[in-house]
Amino acid sequence: MNEKTLPELYRARPRNLVVRGSLTAMLILIAGIWLSGEFLDPQAFTDQRQENIARFLNELRPYPLQSTTFDASVALTWAHSIMQEKGWDALRITLAISFAAITLAGIFGGLLALPAARNLTRAEPFVINRTSRNRMTDLMWSTLVGATRLLLIFLRAIPEYVWAFLLLALLGPTAWPAVLALALHNTGIFGKLAAEVIEDLPAGPLRSQTGMGASRLQVAAFTILPLTLPRLLLFFFYRWETCVREATVLGMLGIVSLGFWIQDARARNFYDEMFFLILLGALIVLLGEVISTWARWYVRRAS
Amino acid sequence: MAGLAEATASSGKRRWILIAIAASGIWASISLNLDPALLVPGEGGLAVLSEFFSYALSPATTYQSIVPEGTTPLAAQALLAAWRTVQFAAAAMGLSLIGGVTLGFLSSYSLMIETRRGITRVIGGTVYAVARLTITLMRSIHELLWAVLFLAAFGISQLGAVIALALPCAGILAKIFSELIDETPRHAAHSAEAAGASPIQIYCFILAPQALPNILAYSFYRFECALRSSAVLGFFGYPTLGFYIAASFENLYYGEVWVYLYTLFLLVAAVDLWSSAIRKRLA
Amino acid sequence: MLSGLQLENVGVSFETTRALEDVNLHLAQGEAVALVGLSGAGKTTLLHTCNAMVSPSTGRVLINGQDLSKLSAKALKIARMNIGFIHQDLSLVPNLRVIQNVVSGRLGRRSLFGGARDLLFPADDVTERVYDILTSVGIAEKIYERTDHLSGGQQQRVAIARALFQEPQFLLADEPISSVDPVRAEATIALLKTLCAERNITLLMSLHNLKLATTFFPRLVALRDGRIVFDKATDTVLPAELEAIFDLTESSPVSEEVSDFEDRLGGRFG
Repeated sequence: MNEKTLPELYRARPRNLVVRGSLTAMLILIAGIWLSGEFLDPQAFTDQRQENIARFLNELRPYPLQSTTFDASVALTWAHSIMQEKGWDALRITLAISFAAITLAGIFGGLLALPAARNLTRAEPFVINRTSRNRMTDLMWSTLVGATRLLLIFLRAIPEYVWAFLLLALLGPTAWPAVLALALHNTGIFGKLAAEVIEDLPAGPLRSQTGMGASRLQVAAFTILPLTLPRLLLFFFYRWETCVREATVLGMLGIVSLGFWIQDARARNFYDEMFFLILLGALIVLLGEVISTWARWYVRRAS
Repeated sequence: MAGLAEATASSGKRRWILIAIAASGIWASISLNLDPALLVPGEGGLAVLSEFFSYALSPATTYQSIVPEGTTPLAAQALLAAWRTVQFAAAAMGLSLIGGVTLGFLSSYSLMIETRRGITRVIGGTVYAVARLTITLMRSIHELLWAVLFLAAFGISQLGAVIALALPCAGILAKIFSELIDETPRHAAHSAEAAGASPIQIYCFILAPQALPNILAYSFYRFECALRSSAVLGFFGYPTLGFYIAASFENLYYGEVWVYLYTLFLLVAAVDLWSSAIRKRLA
Repeated sequence: MLSGLQLENVGVSFETTRALEDVNLHLAQGEAVALVGLSGAGKTTLLHTCNAMVSPSTGRVLINGQDLSKLSAKALKIARMNIGFIHQDLSLVPNLRVIQNVVSGRLGRRSLFGGARDLLFPADDVTERVYDILTSVGIAEKIYERTDHLSGGQQQRVAIARALFQEPQFLLADEPISSVDPVRAEATIALLKTLCAERNITLLMSLHNLKLATTFFPRLVALRDGRIVFDKATDTVLPAELEAIFDLTESSPVSEEVSDFEDRLGGRFG
């Protein structure tokens, strides 16, 4: 029996160095940045500032009401006119962008997930103890997986806004830049997740199909798709909700979604309209969340 | 698996879902006049596209314009921009964590309402409702919209940018934290209560440690999101990577654009790898 | 006023079922008693009533003469510090180290700061005490391991150590050998009995293994459908009486509901 004393046991205790180190590093980073005073603005709370803030808050109130007392009907007419002019259209366009983008992302992300799934993309999938091992073909398959994964990471790492900015300049002022930007970014996210779901699948059903002579594509269509669909649908609706959120903001680049009118109002110093539209954006994000939650509940029930 | 009737019913429901998705996609493309033909650029557009992508494989190593003596080299500039991006994101994470933990505590159903009786329950219920409302407001407004709001109110201010990043992030963190706390199994908590521990002790020493791994994992994921948002802030004038991407692009220095794009890619990819490694060890 | 643990005409109902009916029980200080019966007979309910995690709808529970239902929250907390409980599902925090789970047994006697100290940077004497208790249950070398890295039987012993660290006067154990293999089960019960005898702790343990109950415990209390069927010295119990408590042909439908209820038993934390 290897009898260890208490101090020895203490020294030998299992420690999670990676987690602890990372945590410490993050905390030092955050504390260091705040303590360096970079972001501490001494001018933030001067009297002049407070006056400005008070004035700004006043300007947030609807224009017709700024000098008089509150009147509900005046406020409503003002709100109504904004909605008529731009509100409804902007909402429609924002929603449409989100639907188009997430559908494209779902399709292409799902397709890209196949070459990115390691259990599928190899010389003889699902076979135990392969007889022939050709180094070259193995290398080719690994390169395919690696390249696909790299592409997915790249699509994901670039924020939607940056994609939209680039695409707007390259494709001109149609709705495509916004849709593609969201679609590209979400393809990266969706593809990675779908690949992980495929890799987590139990080998049994897949092996039996392959054993009966099905090709990879056939296995994918008839076995992988039905097995993974519920989880993917859940994630699909979750990402749709995020797309709604981003679609409102992409308008600031020039595509006529909600963000465009917000930027426009700011440029014209119509802070009341700007504030109203921002709140409208919040409302549609909330609406998206409600619908997404319901859709996911429905998918769970259907599984 | 349930009986045949139920299985058929579920696949029927799934079929409806897929049909609904397809229908919405079609409606959307009609509504937006999404003509695939528009994707094919004209003469001029094609030239721009090919020029842009040609730089993808050969990003610039020095500035493409004439720059005054003593300007930091391009590579260093890119790294500096990356560091600034990290600074904004980390500063925002600090605020978000504090706000998120506090609001998460105050908006947790199991802590504010379920375990209380009488007058404390009423107070708890009110605090809960106010906290939930605040969180919902915070997280429904996109960080860029907060930034726009603060720009209009305060002009360009780095503190304002950090707060704009932090507000929705804190809201999302609070929501996730409250859900995590509510869903932690209560066996160990009951046992501690049976041994005479006070509610605060139970919260700090039993519930919090149980929920901690999930909280940490999610926070690291959020940091990655904060990095991306921080980069985008650059488009509004703040000194993060987005600023340089926009500036170089508008001057048509595509080589420089790709340098910054790759830097952003490497930064996010590195943090993503790191955060995955941590999450694996926390599980 | 009797010392020890006493239940007087205790009845417990929830929704439409009576889980316990007309229970009268007294345990003197230092006694070791086995509680036997089928699942759903009310054993878990009875144990949870003894430390007021479940309130009796009729009757009262007295610890050293104090009626638990009459105590203020603070006094109840103090009373509970004196009562150790080993749950059927152990109820340990899985990602804490063994030493941290053990010290959590005494949180009631520590302030907030003291508890933090014990959990994060325990004082040397605290560590020594934990080490000694873990030695007496046989898993001393696991003191710094993560609790979920231990086997079921080892976690069982951590739960025992935690209850002992509390230094209670009374120890209530709800099927403490359910996650332990049969070979170990005997050793575990023997261990608990010895440790309680050493420290003069009153032990009330529920078991559904009759052989173990009769082997180790000088007194048996049998429950059936929420009522005490008999309560006497083990060597005076007739085989026919033992069979009667476990007679399945006459089990009433009440038992299933009581089982569900007992599964869901919880305190103030939802």
